[in-house]
Amino acid sequence: MFTTHSRPDGTVALVGRLDAAEVPSARAALGALSGTLTLDCSQLDYVSSAGIGLIVETYRRLHQGGHTLKLVNLLPRVRNVFAFAGLDRVLTLE
Amino acid sequence: MPTRDFPRETGALPSIYAFVREALREWGRPEEGAWDVELVLEELFTNVVKYGRKSTRPVTVSLEWQHPLLTIRIRDDDSDFFDPTLAPTPDTTLPILERNAGGLGLHFVRRMAERFEYAHENSISTLTVTMRLEH
Repeated sequence: MFTTHSRPDGTVALVGRLDAAEVPSARAALGALSGTLTLDCSQLDYVSSAGIGLIVETYRRLHQGGHTLKLVNLLPRVRNVFAFAGLDRVLTLE
Repeated sequence: MPTRDFPRETGALPSIYAFVREALREWGRPEEGAWDVELVLEELFTNVVKYGRKSTRPVTVSLEWQHPLLTIRIRDDDSDFFDPTLAPTPDTTLPILERNAGGLGLHFVRRMAERFEYAHENSISTLTVTMRLEH
């Protein structure tokens, strides 16, 4: 189960598992977001290559519009998956 | 050895996660160890779903625990030869705008596995991954 929640401070929380089964609905949710974006990952339990692909896709879309994407509060196991992908060096992770 | 059949669709993933957690509980292993196992299983299973035959046959997953190693086997008995252990390693040093998403899942499996093997005979493929459970 994966959901997103927009917060009053403008950040968007990712909640649950971002896996291959959830990517279609997650793509619809993230595709509706625009502008410079901060994703709060404190409740993101799990990410796989399918989820990483969607984050990269979102980064590219925002970048084309001159915006940036930042991910904050990643759990260590989720940060490890980004590190395996070599994305900890090229995405802004806080 | 816990063994279960799953339909070859990504919608089976929640049932696979439940299967992993059930097995770890039976072996008295902490649930925290499940995340890494689920990641490896998801990557291997979705590879079968995406690139395997569009068959109605289920995919069989079995788990074996021998401290400190967990062995995962995925059996597809309606398959063509495709050896994922030979898939090229993606370049994870490229700038993000030059990345190609392909191959990342198998790269994760290689990073986490102590052993990653493939066998294919009479349309039956078996993927075997052995990984050390840190938790």
